[in-house]
Amino acid sequence: MYLIIKRLWQVNWAEQWQYRANLLMYLLYWLVSPIIYLAVWTSIANAKGSVNGYTANDFITYYLVLLICDQVTSNIVIHIFGYKIQDGSLSGELIKPIHPVLTSVLINNIAFKVLTILGFIPVWIVLFFLFRPDFSHVALSGILLSIPAMILGFLVSYLLSAAITALAFWTTRVYSIHEFYFALILLFSGQFVPLPLMPKLVQDIAQYLPFQLFIYYPIQLILGKLSSAQIVQGYVSGLVWLGVAVLLFNWIWRNGVKRYSAVGA
Amino acid sequence: MHTLKLLSSFFKVNVQMSLAYRADTIVNILLNLMWLGWELLSLNIIFSNTSTLGGWGFGELIALLGVFRLVNTIMMAIIWPNTEKFNQSIRDGSMDYTILQPVNSMFLVTFSRITVWRIWDLILAITLMVVGINMSGDTTTALHILTFMLLATTGTIVIYSLWIVLIALTFWFTKFDNNVTILHALLDSGRYPATVYPVWLRIIVTFIVPIAVATTIPLQALRGELNSGQVLGFFLVGVVSFLLATRVWKAGLKRYSGASS
Amino acid sequence: MTPTIIVEKLSKTYQVPEREGGFGAAVRSFFKRKYKDVKAVQEVNFSIAQGEVVGFLGPNGAGKTTTLKMLSGLLHPTGGKASVLGFTPWELKPEYLRAMTLVMGQRNRLSWDIPAADSFLLNQAIYRIPDDQYKQTYKELDELLELEPLMKKPVRNLSLGERMKCEIAAGLLHRPRVLFLDEPTIGLDITGQVRIREFLREYNKRTGATILLTSHYMADVTALCERIIIIHQGQLKYDGGITDLSHKIAPFKLIGVMLTDADSHDLSKYGTQVRNEEDADKKYIQVKAGDVTRITSQLLADLPVHDITITDPPIEDVIEQAFNQ
Repeated sequence: MYLIIKRLWQVNWAEQWQYRANLLMYLLYWLVSPIIYLAVWTSIANAKGSVNGYTANDFITYYLVLLICDQVTSNIVIHIFGYKIQDGSLSGELIKPIHPVLTSVLINNIAFKVLTILGFIPVWIVLFFLFRPDFSHVALSGILLSIPAMILGFLVSYLLSAAITALAFWTTRVYSIHEFYFALILLFSGQFVPLPLMPKLVQDIAQYLPFQLFIYYPIQLILGKLSSAQIVQGYVSGLVWLGVAVLLFNWIWRNGVKRYSAVGA
Repeated sequence: MHTLKLLSSFFKVNVQMSLAYRADTIVNILLNLMWLGWELLSLNIIFSNTSTLGGWGFGELIALLGVFRLVNTIMMAIIWPNTEKFNQSIRDGSMDYTILQPVNSMFLVTFSRITVWRIWDLILAITLMVVGINMSGDTTTALHILTFMLLATTGTIVIYSLWIVLIALTFWFTKFDNNVTILHALLDSGRYPATVYPVWLRIIVTFIVPIAVATTIPLQALRGELNSGQVLGFFLVGVVSFLLATRVWKAGLKRYSGASS
Repeated sequence: MTPTIIVEKLSKTYQVPEREGGFGAAVRSFFKRKYKDVKAVQEVNFSIAQGEVVGFLGPNGAGKTTTLKMLSGLLHPTGGKASVLGFTPWELKPEYLRAMTLVMGQRNRLSWDIPAADSFLLNQAIYRIPDDQYKQTYKELDELLELEPLMKKPVRNLSLGERMKCEIAAGLLHRPRVLFLDEPTIGLDITGQVRIREFLREYNKRTGATILLTSHYMADVTALCERIIIIHQGQLKYDGGITDLSHKIAPFKLIGVMLTDADSHDLSKYGTQVRNEEDADKKYIQVKAGDVTRITSQLLADLPVHDITITDPPIEDVIEQAFNQ
């Protein structure tokens, strides 16, 4: 198993390295929205002193940390894997004695992530000096606690996206479904604005959804804004959602493969 | 006259294409409505916490959203599909056929694909503008509306010109497949008035990737914030950038016919 | 009458960046590139009269496509002159573009997603073809190529042969007077090739169009062209009748013998041994036309010959020899 992972890593790293120019473009996409939201909310906070208790510095630190969490927890499964189902090239992967989604696609995604994080460090430093956030209240314990939380967040986000992508076994419109899913993340994860600034209804629903595990929860961990009870609650909900995501993915995947081999695509 | 006839031919062909994917069209319109809902909600969230953004009111941001959606429609209905086709034609060599057609190649490359269902988007954008202008309750004069329309057109031409330059670069750097990404990625900045951005970002979206020229600036004209000198200045920028883009395109073609094998 | 196509000292030299392997070299080449001149076409001269069908031959990389591209206007030459129908091609005058066509077997002009009929109508608009002329031309093309059943299907659903028929028809809707065809039958099966060939012959007869074509399939050339032009490494090697070629370039005959104990005999002292895939039972040697009688009797005297045949070498081989001279 170790050898398989090592070889897969070598292949996928080499592949991603080939596309390092695309990486810059990807970084650009990933950068623009948070910076815009940051600018919008700091301008409001500056004009009014604070928004619902959030000062300009609160917004700056929130979005700068958001860039990190989003980078770590997001995934590109749909891009690696979606078309493989539709054009039939998945057949070749299915007959290999390893699970395609849980090995090669996962490792490809991680290779991509490592490469983007390497590219992202200098960008983040530039942003740091452009916005000069005050991170004095951030403690090491928060950062350490956030690492397993982000890994958990990544796993949940990865499995949910993989489950949605596996719907491609049934429909050709999986990209549209994914777009809808993406809108849900935008609404309930805290990507647009810290959740407490969202309408009450959105906040309430967000409690019952996994999306804040991707963004809002790790940000709050890093910024040290959670009580120990909230930290535990977050981890518990993360583990529960991981279980749900595993079951959901497995169920969709198994039925999908069955259908795929029955139709003989 | 012939140009119009050609455009209508392109349009017909594209209607045919989208009819082949009817169900997708419906799904796309639904998704588009979903995003409109999100945009309105996000504006609502912003304005439940403040009464002005960068000095602009809710109505003005709705109008800005309309202008933004207009530019976005051009991006998604024309720039994106034609760029895809163009890149493909450079890769597989069918660009040769494009050059050998007895029609201006820049016109052919930039208008042969039109995502037809986006007409719906266009109507939506114009509705938003009208509603927003009404809501803002500004003392909008006919002259302001005229300069707004003039500068919105100018801004669109500026973006069109930048697009031409970006795709023409592919003639030199064949592997430059991401040629419009920078335009697309920064497009979102047009949702909000450029006045809220930090100076460095404002410089980028005004001068380097001039999204704001097509969104914020026409709105400023609508609010009567621009004097006639500025209006004339922006108009000239539009004309000059178009002429420049045509030059770059021709040079690119020359490069292509000198270097390809 | 002035010829339709006149080519004088036409040359094209490419500058190809030279790149060595390794990181250091890559960095160096970023700052200062070294270029190598590649002479794709060197001072080629020929002229073609109206209505002629000329085969343009040469091995891969000989400069055929480059020449066709210059004649159609896609490429600027680095030297020399060319005139087609009185136009200088690379000025890309609309009147010129409306008078000629370039069909490349490996490139698609039709959109994949829509039926060919719609692309045809688009071409009608682009080439400003009047309605009645369009209908007339379409009717003729349909007669020759049986297009009608293919018109309604999206192009992606057509077979390769069907698609090629549509591609060629699309290139001919504006009734060009000069046709440049680059590998028009490539990838087609034998019947497909024959269809296209017959069509081109008939089209040439009906319209008097001038045709210059390249092909890897010698059958295309032998069936269509009375005259061929051969270039090799950018230089003109032969320009003349196809039947004269073997006399001029390869005055050889092939002698095939069937021997009892084939492997134990060495035929190389009688002439150059050649392979013949179609007839593997026999061994073939190539000899000068004048020596045929002498060597035949020698073979019969020296060896246990079952069967003996004397033939002209296939045109492919003759052309290959022309390349190698």
